[in-house]
Amino acid sequence: MATLAPGVKTGSYHAVLDHIHPEPTSFIRKYIFSIDHKVIGIQYMITGGLFFLIAGLLAEIIRVQLLSPQNTFVTAATYNQVYSMHGSAMVWMVIIPLVTGAFGNFVMPLQIGARDVAFPWLNLAAFWMFPVAGVILFSSFLIGAPDAGWTEYPPISLQGPPGTTMWCIAIFLIGISSTLTGINFIVTIVKMRAPGMTFTRMPLFVWAQLATAGLSFIATTALAGALLALFLERTFGVPFYDPKHGGSPLLWQHMFWFYSHPAVYIMILPAFGIVSEVLPTFSRKPIFGYKMIAFSSVAIALLGFSVWAHHMFTSGMVPWLQLPFMILTMVIAVPTGIKIFSWMATLWGGSIRWTTPMLFATGFLITFTCGGLTGFFLAAVPADYHEHGTYFVVAHFHYVLYGGSVMGLFAGIYYWWPKMTGRMYDERLGQIHFWITFLAFNGTFMPMHWLGLMGMPRRVPYYDPAYQFWNQFASVSSFVLAASMLLFLYNLFTSFRSGKIAGPNPWGARTLEWMIASPPPYYNYKKIPAVLATPYDFGNPLPYIGLDAAPGATEATPTMSSHPVPAY
Amino acid sequence: MAVSIAKQGYNLGHGEHGDHEHELVIYQETRDMRLLGFVLFLGSDVVLFSAFIFAYIYLRTTVSPTWPPILDGHQLPRLDTAFAAVNSVVLFGSGVTMHYALENWKHGNRPRYNLFMLLTILLGAGFLGGQAYEYAHAQIGGWSGSIFGASFFTLTGMHGFHVFVGVVYLIVLWLQTQRNVYDQERYFGLTAGTLYWHFVDVIWVALFFLFYLW
Ligand code: HEM
Ligand SMILES: [Cu+2]
Repeated sequence: MATLAPGVKTGSYHAVLDHIHPEPTSFIRKYIFSIDHKVIGIQYMITGGLFFLIAGLLAEIIRVQLLSPQNTFVTAATYNQVYSMHGSAMVWMVIIPLVTGAFGNFVMPLQIGARDVAFPWLNLAAFWMFPVAGVILFSSFLIGAPDAGWTEYPPISLQGPPGTTMWCIAIFLIGISSTLTGINFIVTIVKMRAPGMTFTRMPLFVWAQLATAGLSFIATTALAGALLALFLERTFGVPFYDPKHGGSPLLWQHMFWFYSHPAVYIMILPAFGIVSEVLPTFSRKPIFGYKMIAFSSVAIALLGFSVWAHHMFTSGMVPWLQLPFMILTMVIAVPTGIKIFSWMATLWGGSIRWTTPMLFATGFLITFTCGGLTGFFLAAVPADYHEHGTYFVVAHFHYVLYGGSVMGLFAGIYYWWPKMTGRMYDERLGQIHFWITFLAFNGTFMPMHWLGLMGMPRRVPYYDPAYQFWNQFASVSSFVLAASMLLFLYNLFTSFRSGKIAGPNPWGARTLEWMIASPPPYYNYKKIPAVLATPYDFGNPLPYIGLDAAPGATEATPTMSSHPVPAY
Repeated sequence: MAVSIAKQGYNLGHGEHGDHEHELVIYQETRDMRLLGFVLFLGSDVVLFSAFIFAYIYLRTTVSPTWPPILDGHQLPRLDTAFAAVNSVVLFGSGVTMHYALENWKHGNRPRYNLFMLLTILLGAGFLGGQAYEYAHAQIGGWSGSIFGASFFTLTGMHGFHVFVGVVYLIVLWLQTQRNVYDQERYFGLTAGTLYWHFVDVIWVALFFLFYLW
């Protein structure tokens, strides 16, 4: 047995790591019902991408309707269905599956030096629940889609169209899927790290996935309970939520937000992880405060369970609970702030390359911080009494979800695209895409702050003419935002067809996935490498030994470490 | 120094062990992973039950002025605690026999393993029968009559469903052991089955307290 350098702790799971199944040969087993985490990651990406287009289209219907105060583009009833489905789809069928299912699956096992996730077949099953759930959700339009908002508060949702029951089933299904994925990821990260990869040597993206997996396997089941009760009440009249029969609508709010507040961290933590990979790579600097960033992810995940009632300040909850929930909410800002300062310190004095992923990561920093600040206003109880249920809330969560999660996703797609496809995208088009996105995004959602403070309620198809100007401004910006997607897709498409060959490590990054061929071969590593240090010490030799490069990646050996970064 | 380490690389002792030994190492490592996965799965199941337990406590303490609640002008009666206590003893007894089933398997005592396993299955089925009897006789206005019935039938129903799945699971395990799927070194299925069965017991402790003693 080979001896390792002092300081390398060998994990005990070598035999599993060394176990290689033969590569499937039939098309179906290879690309449709694959158990390869990389293929499954890409399947999530394509499916989630399709759902993103649908949910985005629904958003544009909202914005067309709001072009004028008394628009008749859609009826009020349809409008209710459209925004409810837009929100539901964006949260459960787009962001969550993309940040965990797509990126977690593709990147995480590579980064910890594993050949696959712990339970590949479970992974396959969890993936296929996702398109099925999506189809169930969207086909509810055929029988009357849910119309009580993505939160489906009873008693309105109890009286909602038949599609509301399909909504319950679809969200329940995607919930099982994400619980299984969470369990799978936890076991993978805890048990299958390459020898020498201690917890403090894990890439920050892996830390983020670990915290996220912990959140989703606990919180999601609570949501499943709430959904089950809603389903039982709608179908069998079991009175959990209906005050007329002794139930309580507030019970739903408690159970729903006990899940859905942590869910916003499920949506954002992986984006934090992506940004933590992109920023040091393009600043050519060790990340500032590695441990602080890693542990603050865990702190955010834990604290995330204690703040749900900040969504219920105006719901008639007992008043003495308001103060603790307000304070707890503001406490979460501390670990989040630690991250933001660490990222800025990473940029400080770095030799920055403004590639597209870097632009998106920086854009993320700016817009997410804005969203976090408006969150502070909503957490303050007296202010929330004014802002609750207005467009201020819509502005806030789009700054966090679009400016945070989606920008993070774009950064991740551009960053790992060469790894996934083996080809480079067009850098100029990517940068144009970023600038349009950034400007149009702010054009769309910034005015919603003013509208909200002026008093425009959310979820209304008609409004006071006093709000017209900013609504039109937002709508037109949103059309530009939507159009920029075409540019993005065109870029990816041409790159996939005829992009420049990327090579194993076009960015000169230092995490493990860049040490093997692009796209990575089946089962990733011919020989599992051993890890000697964290992956962010730019300027030092690579922290891996024993990397018997997989076929086609012969140049990605440890001796490459001191090579200058190739031009992209 | 660095170069020589890099050249050596890291490889596992394939061929250094005998085939059987190597297989056993793989088994132990996958077993550890599956065990962690299974425990996490049970953990998320605990959250599902907790959600409904929270709902029950919440409804009972904040919504209902009296407990048992009033339905159509009548105060509903309490549940039959004595009957449920007997039924609980049946369930907890099955936990004990399951424990001995696994122990006897580990020590290679097949006849006693068979005995305890079949006893567990019988006791589990007996508990389900008792629950069915209770459902037929509970005078609390049915599933959709009040929040009492709603939380009682949903929670104990979910638990009963888990017991049912457990009984089927144990039958499958027993059949597998008859067909020698497991041996004395490799019996993860039995470990998981035992864990699951104890989990069902523990949940029942909470439900018994909440519905019959509180
Ligand atoms: C083109 C981009 C987008 C536009 C123009 C847009 C527009 C809107 C508008 C105008 C509303 C308010 C509906 C109302 O309350 O009356 C809304 C609601 C919502 N949006 Fe978006 N959105 C976009 C992208 C996203 C993304 C990426 C997410 C990510 C999760 C998202 C999540 C939500 C949610 C959760 C709601 C709440 C729905 C509800 O009230 O039930 N949106 N969106
Ligand atoms: Cu929240």
